Amino acid sequence: MMKVVTGVVGNDIHVVANRLIDISLQARGFEVFNLGVNTSLEEFIDAVVETDADILLISSLNGEAEGWCRDLQFLRSEYELKDVTFVIGGNLAVGEAKQSDIIPKYKSYGFDLVFHQIDLNTGLDEMERYMREKQ
Amino acid sequence: MSKLLIDVGSTYVKVCQKSGISQYFRDFKKDIYDDLITKCGDIFSQYKKEDIFICSSANGGLSTLIIGLTNSFSLKFAKNIAFNSGINIIDTILYSKIEESKSPGELVDVVIIVGGIDGIGNVFDEKLLRYLEKVQYSNIVYVGTAQDASFLKEHLPNLTVLSNIITHKLHVNGNELKEYLTNLYQADIVGKEDIKHLYEITANQIYSTPYIVNRSLPFIDANFDVVNPFIVVDIGGATTDIHYSRDLVRDNIVSESGYDRLVFKKLGVFKSRETLIYAAKNNEFVYELLAYLNVTENILEEESEKALRILMQLSIFLVLYKVSRLNPLYVTLQLELLKTIVLTGGITKVLNYEEVEVIISFFYKKVMNVHALPNIVMDYDYAIWTLGMENTQKEEK
Repeated sequence: MMKVVTGVVGNDIHVVANRLIDISLQARGFEVFNLGVNTSLEEFIDAVVETDADILLISSLNGEAEGWCRDLQFLRSEYELKDVTFVIGGNLAVGEAKQSDIIPKYKSYGFDLVFHQIDLNTGLDEMERYMREKQ
Repeated sequence: MSKLLIDVGSTYVKVCQKSGISQYFRDFKKDIYDDLITKCGDIFSQYKKEDIFICSSANGGLSTLIIGLTNSFSLKFAKNIAFNSGINIIDTILYSKIEESKSPGELVDVVIIVGGIDGIGNVFDEKLLRYLEKVQYSNIVYVGTAQDASFLKEHLPNLTVLSNIITHKLHVNGNELKEYLTNLYQADIVGKEDIKHLYEITANQIYSTPYIVNRSLPFIDANFDVVNPFIVVDIGGATTDIHYSRDLVRDNIVSESGYDRLVFKKLGVFKSRETLIYAAKNNEFVYELLAYLNVTENILEEESEKALRILMQLSIFLVLYKVSRLNPLYVTLQLELLKTIVLTGGITKVLNYEEVEVIISFFYKKVMNVHALPNIVMDYDYAIWTLGMENTQKEEK
């Protein structure tokens, strides 16, 4: 069973979305470690290390992720997390933003998959496809 | 009350009987037993051994080194449990950086190793063993993933293995480790030859004083003019303890107990006077504080009644500083929510209410930037300790 660490990054308290992601992941057969809302990037990375998770799935609805996720590359290298897949989804910008701007920006932060304003199930389908191909 | 309650401190011995509490300054040339018999032998002869209850804080406090996998979970959980068991943390090591970490120069009472939820393996390897070869320690305990326990046990024969402190939900499971550390702390105090001798006076278990004070906390607001959330600051000759309501802590740790405690081994005004002065001189606010008290730093070198009072005031300031936001490496209490500060221990015999108020007022204005002070309660006659002793006896029955 694949392990996923999930939660909402930064000063963001969108708990309903967080619960929906938790339930959807469990329904798809993942083992879920839900850190809830208001979670720092370091806490996410530390949870991945403690649980030996396969996927880190960060969600963000108020656009704060842009400020909170810039250190991902640095923290990834601290623990040599080469086999972990990093995914982020939700509303990833403050104000209007194009997919073509947002996706490369988050990929440059170190995310493997980026879903900006994409339906939850569509994003999770894509994540599962990616994991199958990776294996 | 037909019981005799005795608290053996590093500086004073308190004796509580029906007629009231009396205290005696310790004679350091004698061992504790001889000293007690000389001063209180007549009193002891009036009671049966079964009716005499003793607790001790003389030179209490153990040191620990914690090795953990991450800051947010393993190290954070273990630090919190250690602090609340009365243990002084001398260093923490992040396992990913263990190869470049220095080993502590002093003997460590207990090494704690923690990391990973149960079900994952190969977290710890030869790196840990190589590092531990350089560390001098008396006890070592493992509270990480169950899968690595046999590998570590094979290479570290003295290792104690307890259940993982990190649950599968990434919550803290601190009961076993807390009990282990509390027992070590207790054994350290009662195992001292001086204290063992006291079993000739009592037929009852000798407890550590911080444990006794902690037992009284759920009853304090009903017995004293205290509003929750509160802290109890017990400043003695060798150590300073803070007991606090869990409402004052904002963290991701779910705990069953409503009250925790911290023991500062090196902040006493007699036996650890030197380390207290060292801590004071290294504090950014202290020179301003001394000026506020109308004294110069020369007072710290003096041996006078006035110097003792200043040292006591500095102790109050330093313990509050250590648990404030300005010292994030320690347990941080939300002192702005605090409603009552209760002072107990030897300090209440030296300082009056106004002298305490001056220092707490300085701390709140200067460090916290707020002008509303918590209510200050002085436990002049060791009523909290008496309450704790009496409740412990009732529960034993």
